[in-house]
Amino acid sequence: MTDFIRFDRINKFYGPLCVVENLDLGIAKGEFVSLLGPSGSGKTTLLMMLAGFERTTSGTILLDGTAINDVPTYKRDMGIVFQSYALFPHMSVGENVAFPLQMRGMGKTEIAERVAKALDMVQLSAYAERRPSQLSGGQQQRVALSRALVFEPRVVLMDEPLGALDKQLREQMQLDIRDLHRRLGLTIVFVTHDQSEALTMSDRVAVFNKGKIEQIGTPRQVYDEPATRFVAEFIGETNLVEGVVESLQGQEATVRLPSGAQIVSAVSATVSAGQSVYVSIRPERVDLTEIRGDQLNCLEAEVTDSVYQGDHLRVQLHNPSHPLIAKLGRRSREFSPGTKVFAAFSSGDCRVIAP
Amino acid sequence: MSAGPSRTGRSLLLLAPLLIFLVGFFVWPLFSMMSQSVSDTAVLRLLPRSAEVLPDWDRASPPTPAMQAALMEDLKAVDDDQALGDMVRRLNSARSGFRTLMSKTTSALDDTANPPVDLVSIDDRWGRPEFWLAIADALSPLTDRNLLAAVDLGRNASGDIEHLPAEQSVNGVILLRTFWIAGLVTIACACIGYPYAIIAASLSGWKRDVMLGAVLLPLWTSLLVRTAAWFILLQEQGLINDALQTLGLIDGPLPLIFNRTGVIIAMTHVLLPFMVLPIYSVLITIPKNLMPAAASLGAHPIRAFLRVLLPLSLRGVASGSLLVFISAIGYYITPALIGGPGDQMISSIIAFYAIGSANWGMAGALGVVLLIATLLLYSVYARLSAEEAERY
Amino acid sequence: MPMKFTKFAFASLTILFLVAPLIAILPLAFTSSVILTYPIPSWSLRWFEELFTADAWRRAIVNSFIIGTGTTLLATVLGTAASLGLRNRLIFFRGTIRTLFLLPMVVPAVVLGVGMQVLLGGFGLTNSYAGVIIAHTVVAVPFVVVSVSGALAGIDRRVELAAESLGASPITVFRRVTLPLAMPGVLSGAVLAFATSLDEVVLTLFVAGPNQRTLARQMFSSIRENISPAIAAAAFLFITVTVVIGLIVILSNVMRARRR
Repeated sequence: MTDFIRFDRINKFYGPLCVVENLDLGIAKGEFVSLLGPSGSGKTTLLMMLAGFERTTSGTILLDGTAINDVPTYKRDMGIVFQSYALFPHMSVGENVAFPLQMRGMGKTEIAERVAKALDMVQLSAYAERRPSQLSGGQQQRVALSRALVFEPRVVLMDEPLGALDKQLREQMQLDIRDLHRRLGLTIVFVTHDQSEALTMSDRVAVFNKGKIEQIGTPRQVYDEPATRFVAEFIGETNLVEGVVESLQGQEATVRLPSGAQIVSAVSATVSAGQSVYVSIRPERVDLTEIRGDQLNCLEAEVTDSVYQGDHLRVQLHNPSHPLIAKLGRRSREFSPGTKVFAAFSSGDCRVIAP
Repeated sequence: MSAGPSRTGRSLLLLAPLLIFLVGFFVWPLFSMMSQSVSDTAVLRLLPRSAEVLPDWDRASPPTPAMQAALMEDLKAVDDDQALGDMVRRLNSARSGFRTLMSKTTSALDDTANPPVDLVSIDDRWGRPEFWLAIADALSPLTDRNLLAAVDLGRNASGDIEHLPAEQSVNGVILLRTFWIAGLVTIACACIGYPYAIIAASLSGWKRDVMLGAVLLPLWTSLLVRTAAWFILLQEQGLINDALQTLGLIDGPLPLIFNRTGVIIAMTHVLLPFMVLPIYSVLITIPKNLMPAAASLGAHPIRAFLRVLLPLSLRGVASGSLLVFISAIGYYITPALIGGPGDQMISSIIAFYAIGSANWGMAGALGVVLLIATLLLYSVYARLSAEEAERY
Repeated sequence: MPMKFTKFAFASLTILFLVAPLIAILPLAFTSSVILTYPIPSWSLRWFEELFTADAWRRAIVNSFIIGTGTTLLATVLGTAASLGLRNRLIFFRGTIRTLFLLPMVVPAVVLGVGMQVLLGGFGLTNSYAGVIIAHTVVAVPFVVVSVSGALAGIDRRVELAAESLGASPITVFRRVTLPLAMPGVLSGAVLAFATSLDEVVLTLFVAGPNQRTLARQMFSSIRENISPAIAAAAFLFITVTVVIGLIVILSNVMRARRR
């Protein structure tokens, strides 16, 4: 399958400052790709270059096989949803949505038809005459969405579009956008710094750090099989345990901890025996038992604190070499501080990462 | 709210001094200027006895002996030649022939050896009602003569308003010229100031500071210094002519000073900040992502400007233009120093009437016209900026 | 790229148009020639000497200083008091009063001048310092009101309420809290009032007699009647004073910013 969008060795400098470094990325038609990373990681700059607001310092951006570096934004045919919506305050909702169609010289009746359909799609038909300032944040967001989709753009770009909404509305919009993506078969590039948003919506997530892509994969891959320490820490919560590789057996490695205990863990990176590495253990994959079970990995620990958080019980543990955190399901029993326990997890629930 | 009344009392006490000061030295002067323009006491002042008798007259029959006696008494009592001259001028403008009639009458009255019995015996024109009618009308302390003359209108013999003959219609020309020059300056300021404000608003950091500083610096500099500076630049051996001649672009010096070109250039320089600042203050409130949004929706930069930036910044342009226009129509110093005789605006004419010829009536009347024009435009401006404040 | 160049060229040319005249006049203050043109034959301070020794110029400078000081005092006191009064939202016709306070900025100077001459003439105040100071105060007071009102609007009401809750009487609140916080506004208002008086020509023309000729008035008639490099020297003086005044305002703003 050839890529619909292709970034080919993209570099972007602001003066001496490198924001995007030798970046390659391919996106298939109909795919939903999130660019995830902290602010300043280059994800927004990449989106701006795709949109045509920024020029690449070097490298080529291809859309459907054609280089678009020199195509001005207004000819790129990309629908963009901006962070703060960028609705035209002097036009009504209907006029906002009609704007891209007018720019394409469509007839009045067709525009009216399309606008009605686009507003219907986001359940705002009743608001066509209103000014954007008379709408709530969520409604404005939906207007921005329908304005970006009404002209059937080749690609839809979204720059942190849900950042200004409150949590409940944001989660609803995430599902709505995902639904639109599936129904209309859109190609979407979505920039966010919110990892749960990226995991919820995307076909693939590209994790950015310091102008480079650290890892790209399905939400399950980046969460369960983090390739680097940065990815493991940035996406979700994790216990990072330091140790030395003792031996390798196929896709698994035995790691000895400073306390002397051993962990058998799946391996993401290429490591060799004798190398010091990290093991990432997701807190919700950790079980606590009072007697040593039959699981491969079992670390002795003492409970220092436990907090009931509604949907889970969060237990802080002290282990001779590392503090650990475990998230237990709500059916778990309470653990009082001082209790001696064993923290157990299977070899598939942890991951060896190169330092 | 027990502190309410005393607090209000205190506030009023604080407001009162400035309020009284401005009513006394701002509102009252404007008021007295207006009353100057409609007051007409040149005749009433000298003829108090006639003023008592004339209202009883039926305005058609020949003068009664009482009227003649009263006027004779009044004229005998006049000892101020200048006031007499003013009155004669005033009466003569209402009815020609008064000048000769009055001088004949006063010299006859001065002849104490052979005192005249009545006025008709001095000159039989005194027997005709028209002359008495002119006096009766001129005795009214109020007149619309000056105000009408300010817009080139006047009353004919029968009291109807009509246009003054062309040789007296100078004010209309000057009013038109004032608005024309102010309009040209406004357009020049808008053509330079609007793009300038757009560029400044699109920049950031030191580049923006430099652009704004360049606008604020002249604003902070004395108007006279700026006018003097343009004098130096524009004069025949000035820097502009020198530069153009050195470059070989022109053979002889261009006439840049004491003409319209110089006035427009210097006034544009002086008023440009008033255009740039309001536009800039509107532009920076426009979200930065609207133009990118328009581009992403397929709008060519020119269409994006016309559909998005222009409508959103039009209020700034309107405010700036009004501000420039209001300031320009009242301008005095720059046209007075840089302009020629053909470039004098209404302020210069007012100053001429007031200082040069002590014609307070005319100065006041033209002042009223300028004041009304200014206040009307200012109320539009105030409404515009109030709406602006509401919107954001 | 050509778009960028066009913008750059346009901005540069406009900056040149705005600033060049002010710069062009300065060197001529130091010319030795009797005519006000370039090139400058040799440098000399003779025109500054003229400025400070010739009777007309010297008296004009002194007059400007007297009238400017009087105007500043009167306008600052009246304007500051009125701005404090305007803070109260319970005042009737608050908007109208405010507009009245600002209107002297709008009314054409010549119109006001005619009225002033008529009225002050009636009081026998024309050709007197008092008359000129009154006239200048009328046009200077709006600047004080705008500046002080701005500073007062920036004061968080809760600070004053806090002072009151801590046991301060209204007068103490004003003296210890409100006034110190508003001081930068009062100062820049005073500076603006002085600058306004310094630059006033038209009202002076109508109200002042030969004994109250100010520097601006003297420059006006000098440009009109016998232009000489003394103008440039006066302009140099003006610009210097302006720069000093500007620095005071900037410093007071920095002070205000630092205090917040």
